Formats: sequence, C-alpha cells, structure tokens
Amino acid sequence: MGLILSVSHLEKVYGGRGSRTKALSDLSFQVEQGGFTGIMGASGSGKTTLLNCIATIDRPTSGSITVEGTEITRMKGKALSRFRRERLGFIFQDCDLLDTLTGLENIALALTIQGARPGEVERRARETAALLGLEGVLDKYPYQMSGGEQQRVAAARAIVGRPALVLADEPTGALDSRAAGQLLRQLSWLNREQGTTILMVTHDAFTASWCRRILFIQDGALFRELRREDREDRRTFFARILGVVGALGGDAADVL
Amino acid sequence: MFCKLAWKNVSRSLRDYGVYFLTLTFGVCLFYVFNSLESQWCMQMLSRSAHYMAESILVLMDVFSAFVSVVLAGLVLYANTFLMKRRKRELGTYLLLGMPTWRVSLLLVLETLLIGLLALAAGLLLGVLLSHGLGLLTISMFSAYPTEEAFGLILSVKAVGKTALYFGAIFLAVMALTGLTVSRSRLIDLIRGARKNEEMKERPLWTSVLTFLAGAALLGAAYAMLLVRGLLMIDSLFFLMLALGTAGTLLFFRSLSGFLLRLVKGRTGIYYRGLGMFVLRQFNSRIHTTYVSMTAICLLLLLAIGVTACCVGLNDTIESNTDAAAPYDFTIQNYSGDTEQVDIPSLLTANGFDTEEALRGAWLCPLYYNDPGLSAPGGEVPDVAVALSDYNALMALQGRPGLEEGELPQYREEPLASGPTGFTGYLVVPDRTAAELSVRRQLFAGNYAGDRQTAEERLQAAVASPGFSQTGSYRLGTRIQVYMENMGTKLMALFMGLYLGMVFLIAAAAVLALQQLSQAADDQSRYQTLSRLGAPEGMRDRAVFAQVSLAFFLPLALAVVHAAVGMTAANAVIAEVGRVDTAASSAITAAFILVVYGAYFLATFFGSRRIARGDG
Repeated sequence: MGLILSVSHLEKVYGGRGSRTKALSDLSFQVEQGGFTGIMGASGSGKTTLLNCIATIDRPTSGSITVEGTEITRMKGKALSRFRRERLGFIFQDCDLLDTLTGLENIALALTIQGARPGEVERRARETAALLGLEGVLDKYPYQMSGGEQQRVAAARAIVGRPALVLADEPTGALDSRAAGQLLRQLSWLNREQGTTILMVTHDAFTASWCRRILFIQDGALFRELRREDREDRRTFFARILGVVGALGGDAADVL
Repeated sequence: MFCKLAWKNVSRSLRDYGVYFLTLTFGVCLFYVFNSLESQWCMQMLSRSAHYMAESILVLMDVFSAFVSVVLAGLVLYANTFLMKRRKRELGTYLLLGMPTWRVSLLLVLETLLIGLLALAAGLLLGVLLSHGLGLLTISMFSAYPTEEAFGLILSVKAVGKTALYFGAIFLAVMALTGLTVSRSRLIDLIRGARKNEEMKERPLWTSVLTFLAGAALLGAAYAMLLVRGLLMIDSLFFLMLALGTAGTLLFFRSLSGFLLRLVKGRTGIYYRGLGMFVLRQFNSRIHTTYVSMTAICLLLLLAIGVTACCVGLNDTIESNTDAAAPYDFTIQNYSGDTEQVDIPSLLTANGFDTEEALRGAWLCPLYYNDPGLSAPGGEVPDVAVALSDYNALMALQGRPGLEEGELPQYREEPLASGPTGFTGYLVVPDRTAAELSVRRQLFAGNYAGDRQTAEERLQAAVASPGFSQTGSYRLGTRIQVYMENMGTKLMALFMGLYLGMVFLIAAAAVLALQQLSQAADDQSRYQTLSRLGAPEGMRDRAVFAQVSLAFFLPLALAVVHAAVGMTAANAVIAEVGRVDTAASSAITAAFILVVYGAYFLATFFGSRRIARGDG
C-alpha cells in the first residue's frame, strides 16, 4: 500500500513578536492508502490547526506536508484550489449543504466544480448516493432532510470526486448518537470496501473507536498512537481509547 | 476618537456601499445640471431672441426639480434603510459595549453628514462638467446659426445653492430617521440580525409553462392593441392595455425562472458545468420575492427609455417648420395701417436702418378687408385679400412662382409673413378690384443683404426706436426669432426627456442594485461553502457576475422590447407632425443607459463580489 499523506516536523506559530503561541511543534506522522485515521486531543491541543494545514486552508510555519508525494505547503493560487478540489474531500461538523440545491445537486456540485464531463455528472452522483443509501433523499432539499441524512449527503459529496484523502472535522458533532452511529458505519464501510482513505478529527472517544488508528495530540505534539488490532472488538478498542484519554491528563472532562 | 470612528465607517461605506454613494452623487449631479441651465450659454442665446421660451423652460425645470427631489429623497431613504439593516450587528456591538444610544445616533448622524458632504462635492464637480457637455450639445443643435462665441466652464452659484438646499433637506430627513431607528431599536434585535430563509417551492413544470404562455399572450394582446390603436387614444381601453401589459410582464418574470430552470436542466451541458446549476437555483429560489420588483424595474426602465428616446427624437421637425413659418428674414406688420398708412422703408432709413443698403429684396404692400361678395370658385370666403401684383412680388421674395390674372380670384394659403399673422388663408384678387377694398394692415417683408445677425440687431434697434415705434402699432417677426422659438420647444422636450429619463433610470438601477447587494449578503455563507469545496475564485466571481447580470439585464431586455413596440406606435403619432430621428435618438438613449445602468451594474458586481469573497 502506498503512502497518501506524510507530515514531517510540522510547526505552526501564531502571533508575532512578544506573544507567540505554538499551536504545533515538530509533529510528524504518515497515513497509508486505505487508512481510517482518527486524531484526538483536547480543545486547544492543535488538532484543528493540523487539519487546517492539511486542508491547505492554513499554512504551517515550517515543516512539510506531502499528499501522494506532492509537497502542498508551497502550493499557491490556482494550483492550490485545483489540488483542494481534486485530491481532497471534506466533511464538516456543520454539513453546510447548499440550501438552494437538492440532495443530488449538492453531490453533483463537487463534480461540476472539478470540471467533470457534464454528461456523466448525474450518473456518478447517483452511483455515489447509492453507495450511502441516499436514493430516497436525492430530490429533497436540505431543510427536508434529517441531520443524519444531511451529513451523509455531505459525505457523498466528499467522496464523489474520488479524492485521495477525505478530511472529516467532527463529522458527528451535530448528530444524535443513532445518526452518528449510522454515519460512522458508512464511513467505515467506505473505508473497508471502497478503499477510501479517511482522516477524522474528533474529541469523542465513541466516534474515534470506529477508526483503525488513532493519533493523540497534546500541546501541538504527538502524545501517543493507538492501532486497532485486526480481530479487535470495537468495545475493547473503545476502552483502550478511554485509557489513553485518561492518561492525556489535562482536562479529561473536556475530552469526554 | 469619536470622529475617527465616524470617518473610518464612512471610508468603509464608500468602499462597500458604492451604490449608496453613486445614487447620491448622480442625484446631486443631475439636480445641478438642470438647475444651472439658466446660466448656460444656450439659454442665454435663446433668451436674447425668444425670452418667454427660455423662461418657460426654466419654470418647467423648477417644477420637475420638486418632483425629482421627492423621488431622490425616497431613493436615499431606501438606500439608507438598507445600509442600516446591514449594520445591525455593528450597531448592536456599540450598544453592547456600553455606548449610550444617543452617541450611537450621533455617530450615524455624523456619518450621514460626512457622506452627504462627499457626495455633494463629487456630484457638483461631475455636474459642472456634465452641464458643460450638455451646453455644447445644445449649442451644436443651433446648426442654422453658428456663433463665434467661446464657451467656457460655468459655475452657477445659484444652482449650487439650490442643490445644497434640497439635498440638505434630504440629508436632514435621513439623519432624523437614522437617529430614530437607533433609539427605538431593541438590542436583541440588533444582535440577531434577522436572517430569513425562503422556502424552496418547486412548482411543477406545467404551471411554469402555463404562466409563461399566459404572460406572453397578455403581452401580445397589449402590443397588438398598442400598434392597432396607436398611442394617443386615451380611453378605458388604453388603461386596459396598460393593465394587460403590466400583468403580462409580471407573469413573464414570475414564470421565467422556473421555465428557464426546467429548460436548462434538460441540457446537462449547461446545467452540470461549473456553477451553472448553483446560479440557476439561486435565481429560482429568489424569484418568488423578486418578480414584483423586477416588473417594477422593467416598467421604470421602459419609462426611462421611452421618455428619453421620444424627446431626443422629436428632432428634425424644427428646421422644416422654420421655413414654413418664416418665409423671409423679417416681416413688419403695421396693425394701424387701416387708419394711417406709413412708408415703412423710408421711416426705417430715417431711424438708422438703411433699407437700400441692408436689404437685398423687400416689398411693402397693404392687405385688404375682403368684400364678402368676392369668393374663389371653390367657395372659400376668407376675410383677407391681397392684390395680385403684391402677391407675385411677395412670392418672388420667397422664391416661389406667382399667379396669372386669368386665374383670379383664387384662395391661397402660402404664408405671407414671418411670424404669426392671425389668418391662414386669403383671397388673391386683381389689382383694380383691390383698389376698391379698404386697407386692413400693412406688410413690409424683406431679406437681409449682409450678415443676418448684425442686420437683425440693427433692424430691431430701428424698430424699437421712438421715432419709429410711436408712428403706429407695429409687430416685427423674424426668421431668427421663429427659429429660436422652435429651438426652444425642442430644447424643452430634450431637457424634460433627459431629466425625467435619467431620474427614472437612476431610481430603477439603484433599487435593483440595493436588492442585489442585500441578496449577496445572504449568499455570503453559500459562497464560503463553494470556496471550501475548492471552487476557485475565478469560478465564484463568474457565478456572482452571472447572478448580477441576470438581475440587471433580464428586466432591461424586456424593457427594450416594450420600448421598441412603444416607439413604433409613438412614431406613428409623431410622423403626423414631423419625423423622428430614430437612429440618433436611439444612440443617445443607449449611451445614457449604458453609462448610468452600467455604472450601477459594475458597482453592484464589485460590491457583491467583495461580499461573496467574504471581505464585506
């Protein structure tokens, strides 16, 4: 399996002289193709900064990030947005579907922005929707869907362009536990059956337990790494995560 | 600190709310241009020869200015309300930070004052330049009497004062209103700047198609009525026609987006390319609230186009009218000729106007009271008669053929004098018959030998001198006078058309622009999403451009179609009195619309783009 994402010696410093805040310090890790990686940490640990750097929304102070062997920290302008729309897929906490478009059109939008051939846009959008069991909501507007359905449409939108890497930022943050479970099951299925590489940021141990590997971040540095064994039960993994979360110290209540 | 805050807010306003500033500036500029006419060269030239014409133009401009100031006040208040809505949060923050309400009000008042002063300065500057341009344009219309005078830039102090006064009043109203709005608003409402979500209702295709067809049918009926009945039959059917046209326009805009959406959806090549789908959906989601305003804007544009084009177009009729109404360079009529006949040429020579030297042709003759017993074979019995030899001499002066003795008596209608005579037709009788009739008045007509302008001035001086004017009751009519009067009518129509047309245009464009900007503000989060999905800036800008273009050019397109039909009907009317110079008037109208509408379009596009990019 190839390497999708490689982060090495990443640093991010906010503020100028006088008041410097180090959000990331000397962070390095790699994600292989087909991985389902979770990033956990307390508020202010730097996990959102990390995600923003990978998503090319923010620029690191030093260090490098390569996606499929391409250095992305030095990309600019057109190349950058081209990279973002072709190689990355996003799922946000507030699923931010466009309320004037139907479910199908929201999925299709990711393709038309990529400049896909107009003739095959609808077919590809429908196929992707079918993968996530969304046939029933394709003609509905977002305000007619449940929160879970909206988030699954957002997931479909993220993967329809066949990105190298799907970045999910607290995707279950706004969902009730049932809808969250369904979404995670489908993400996990996409990862296993479709080989989609997913990087998910969360502070919720239950959500994280669906991942196959978890990176714990504290004060901008890698604190610990957990891997789910091949035969390991999700509950056992969940318990191990809770253990690490406890060991993270800091404000454990904040993490849970 | 306080003033600094106001100043900063203003400079931000100038950047973000270009439309507000543009409306103020255009308003001031227009107001100045048409109120400074009095001191313009063309009006001074006009008032020398046709004083009352110049005066009535100025009075008319005064009346219109009152109307225009009301329209502009409405526009400025509307724009200001929009601005306040956009700034709810900011104002809420000031209040939340503990600034007393009266200080926030004062801040806004100060800002309004600053913006007003800036717009006044910019508008007056533009106005001085534009009024010079208008002056040159009108001067160029006096083609028959080119003058050697040099035309410099003129600043009319009176017009500046009047503009400042009117706009001062408008700004006072705005300040009072903003102050009131702030003091009466509740903090919670300010902080939660109300965001309403419009419900997306997709109507089935057949309703769109039916509505579209109904709209087209109504428009067709209105057009047909207009073309068949003409423009000037104002009765109940006329108002039915207006109602049909308005309803048709309304239905057209209401169904357009749904129709367009369905049409384009079938063509995946457009629908699924770039942000085409997004733009169409945005347009469609808005149409249920915007179709009414689109109709209003379309009709306002129609007024603007129609008024401007017709008035500018009422053109070449003047030159030919002048020749008909003034066949010689001048005519002196002696109304007291029935009691005492005067040798007008020698009297003129005695009073400083040498008729031998200054005229290259002249004729003095009496006009007679017609004997009711005399009549032409056709049966006409006019009450004026003229002798054959006099008639032939006058016709020779005009360069027309005369009559033979055998054809008499004959009823004729060729004008005998320059200027009004009080009769249309007369009987030409043999000289010996005329000798038995009693004299009604005397007529002295002639053409100048040298330079018309100087000859005319000398003639006027001679006629006005007591040595001449006290010998009888005279009336001097000249070709230049008649020409100037005709010019006056023409200028009045032109100024009226430009003034009202421009105001309608500004009103339509400003309302449209503000509506688009407030929509752009609602769209901001949508554009953010597009950006996060990786849509490059150029693609997003094109989507903004498409949205603003749709909103601006759809009403314009329909208004142009309406105007084309209306002009065809108007031409039929005007053709009876003269010819409308369609090509030139269309060009001038198009140029004005392009500049004003274009400026608003660009200001709206840049404003919306800034908001969509998230800098707003």
